[in-house]
Amino acid sequence: MTEPLKPVYLEDKLNEVRGDGHLSYRSSSLPTWCPGCGYFSVAEGVAMAFNRLKVPSKDAVIVSGIGCASRFPFFMETYGFHTLHGRTLPVATGVKVANDKLTVVAVGGDGDAFAIGGGHIPHAARRNVDITYLVFDNGIYGLTKGQTSPTSVQGFVTPSTPYESHDRPLNPLMMLLSYGASWVGQAYAGQPHHLTDMIAGAIAHRGFSYLHILSPCVTFDKTEMTYANLNVRVRDLPADHDPTDRMAALEQATRTGTPALGLFYREDRPTLADGMADIAMRATAGIPAKGKKARG
Amino acid sequence: MNRKGTDIQFAIIGSAGDGTIAAGDILKRAMARLGYKVIAFDIYPAEIRGFGKCISRVRITTEQAYSLKRHSDVLISLDDSYAIPHVGEVRDYGAVIYESSPVARLAEGGHITAHIKPSQLPYGVQVRGISERATASARSRNIVVLGYLAGLYGIDPKAFREIIAAKFRTKAQAVTDQNTAAFDAGFETGKAVFKLDDIVLGPPLHNKEAEKTTMMTGNGAVVRGCIDAGLDTFFGYPITPATTILERLAAELPKHGGRVLQTEDEISAIAATIGAGYAGARSATATSGPGLALMAEMLGLSVMGEVPSVVFVSQRGGPSTGLPTKTEQSDLNLAVFGGAGDAQRIVLAPTNVDGCYRTAGKAFEMAEQYQTPVVVLLDLYLSNRYETVVLPDKNPFSRNLDKQMADGGAGYMRFADSDDHISPRAIPGQEGGMHTVTGLEHNQLGKPSDLPENHEAMNAKRHLKLEAALRHPDFTICKRFGDEGPVDVGVLGWGSTFGEILEAMFAAQDEGIRCSAMKVVMLSPLPKDQIAAFMDDCGTVLLPELNYEGQLANLVSGALGRPVTKLTRSTGSPMQVEEILAEIRRLAQARAA
Repeated sequence: MTEPLKPVYLEDKLNEVRGDGHLSYRSSSLPTWCPGCGYFSVAEGVAMAFNRLKVPSKDAVIVSGIGCASRFPFFMETYGFHTLHGRTLPVATGVKVANDKLTVVAVGGDGDAFAIGGGHIPHAARRNVDITYLVFDNGIYGLTKGQTSPTSVQGFVTPSTPYESHDRPLNPLMMLLSYGASWVGQAYAGQPHHLTDMIAGAIAHRGFSYLHILSPCVTFDKTEMTYANLNVRVRDLPADHDPTDRMAALEQATRTGTPALGLFYREDRPTLADGMADIAMRATAGIPAKGKKARG
Repeated sequence: MNRKGTDIQFAIIGSAGDGTIAAGDILKRAMARLGYKVIAFDIYPAEIRGFGKCISRVRITTEQAYSLKRHSDVLISLDDSYAIPHVGEVRDYGAVIYESSPVARLAEGGHITAHIKPSQLPYGVQVRGISERATASARSRNIVVLGYLAGLYGIDPKAFREIIAAKFRTKAQAVTDQNTAAFDAGFETGKAVFKLDDIVLGPPLHNKEAEKTTMMTGNGAVVRGCIDAGLDTFFGYPITPATTILERLAAELPKHGGRVLQTEDEISAIAATIGAGYAGARSATATSGPGLALMAEMLGLSVMGEVPSVVFVSQRGGPSTGLPTKTEQSDLNLAVFGGAGDAQRIVLAPTNVDGCYRTAGKAFEMAEQYQTPVVVLLDLYLSNRYETVVLPDKNPFSRNLDKQMADGGAGYMRFADSDDHISPRAIPGQEGGMHTVTGLEHNQLGKPSDLPENHEAMNAKRHLKLEAALRHPDFTICKRFGDEGPVDVGVLGWGSTFGEILEAMFAAQDEGIRCSAMKVVMLSPLPKDQIAAFMDDCGTVLLPELNYEGQLANLVSGALGRPVTKLTRSTGSPMQVEEILAEIRRLAQARAA
């Protein structure tokens, strides 16, 4: 027997939303995304995660590239940097190197991340720079009106691939796991509460955290990454999944037909700032390098 | 163009692996330690090992010199096949020092003795034999010739021994001992030789200035300037000839509280530089032409977002990969104009090593004060050449030039326009200053806007604010040298070539030609008024530069609508003083006729 549904009164709901404080992270600029876009869930999720973690607005920096997803900083009441196509991670790295106290969140779409910006991801991951990277994957180029992207299905017919695309989609989770990202997870815009938990977990992680967010483009993709399709395909990670087991995480990541949601992998290891602190200590104290000398 | 007092140029020539550059390094350091003014430049092949030609030229003077001389006084051959084509650069009554006992039988003309002119003085030395007897190895031939040189010209050997010990201090003691033994053996041999040339080493300077003198390269001076200006973060990607800036800063900056990161490419280097600049750091990167080409889009973001950034660009031969180990001044167009849209930025080009120090430090002041990218154009000849310089006692660079947000809150406008067109800046972490910086055109609040009147106004704001840089305190944006008032020939110049221009101008004055020269240090915004006033005084204007198209000549004649006479060379080598002098003579005669 389930509980009978109680009525929800609009005024009560509004008071509840206003009262919990997360709206203070939303700017006065309303999102320009299409109605129904999955990115609304992400914006709400980031605001709620900041609120839950009590990140001061003044200490949060959201860095983005170019694309629908990259309009994100304008809609948040934090510091923001809307940079160039594909250059989100190096700019975010610069911000973090300059001021380690800031909470830096990099955001972008699948094209920004894995097409033009693909070369930067392994380096942010291997350095373990303490930032959070949220990739909003809708499998299509929305801002330029619906061309194929690196995560689009093979055989996708779009204005730029009128005879279908023969390129295979990338597997971002496997890439990030092998690049050495110290926190890798996946969430779905259609499950906003889980998404919020995952965003909060990613931001709380000390090191480079990568959250892959499946997020339908309701305007240009009516057939593949739709809410209808994803609702039946997505599943939770197995209850016994061990997030410290990288091979198990990779195995889960191979099952692209039924994307798993949850924390795939995490490890604690020194961050870029830790390494720089060690260098500063050695340089000032005159302690010689302890590593492997290239010239013997 | 010899200076009064001592003025001797040594050229050591050998094959890669002979220790040519190392020998030149010890020589110039020893001479600087003795109190001479030094200017030195090495030429080497792109390959690390193999059979490339290496030349180390060291000019020592007691008066200030501005460039190397065309004619060397002493040539030392460590490899005749490479040295033979350079015998002609030794002046009459100058000396040629060479191996007198070649190990192999040489074809006719294969030995340097067949090429020494009757007017030059030959000194054959058993270099290999001396090295083998002193150290049981032929590897110290380069040190033996240094000892010979010191013995022959009566140079104090103590300075050499100290420099040798310092150079090999990280190696085993045996290495220092071996090289010292090689030096001493060469010294004894040289001392016993009856000197026939007319090269005389006068006493060095012994005044207060000499005590404060240090010797450094252009890149080394850039590093010092960065540190003195309070550089916080540096991001770099290795590329000849800018790599040594990254390497030096990686070693030095952490001692001063700064952070250095080698990035995955030049795009990330400038992106991180701008990210750090946005977060309030004094931040920089260094590259060469190919890297600057990659950075062009990001420079546009720095302009549009009004985020401070500093880029040091050591030019080499281009286009494309070009001539990685040869010098050129062909990235002026890219530095001034590179990128999308109307993206004016500040471009500075120092002309000597001392200028590298000052310009590097001032670049950070300007980037911060005018909230703009600043490109500092160096070139391989300037980056790698050594000069003795006297750095100021007091740190000459200002901090905290940022125009900061006065009152934050809802009304805060990050891009507010004002009389000086510079907007109050808030940096992440500051309460009440939340805003988003964007590469999109935006209004004064920072919100995207493509309204026609807004784009016009913001373009104007971004350009007009840079005019104040032309009056930046304690910085020489351009400077005139030589005769005052009306002159027959005026020479405009920029970058490293200005040293040769000065030498040529002094020589022309000695010949009775009314002549003056102006260096242009700020290439963008261009000091049009000062250049126009200079050109008003000149019968004709000559502009020598190391590129094919005449890039500054085009910029100046385009901006001022006046003709200049180009003198362009793209040989990969510095311009010869004599080439410029010949052109000054020709122009002076043409005016007289």
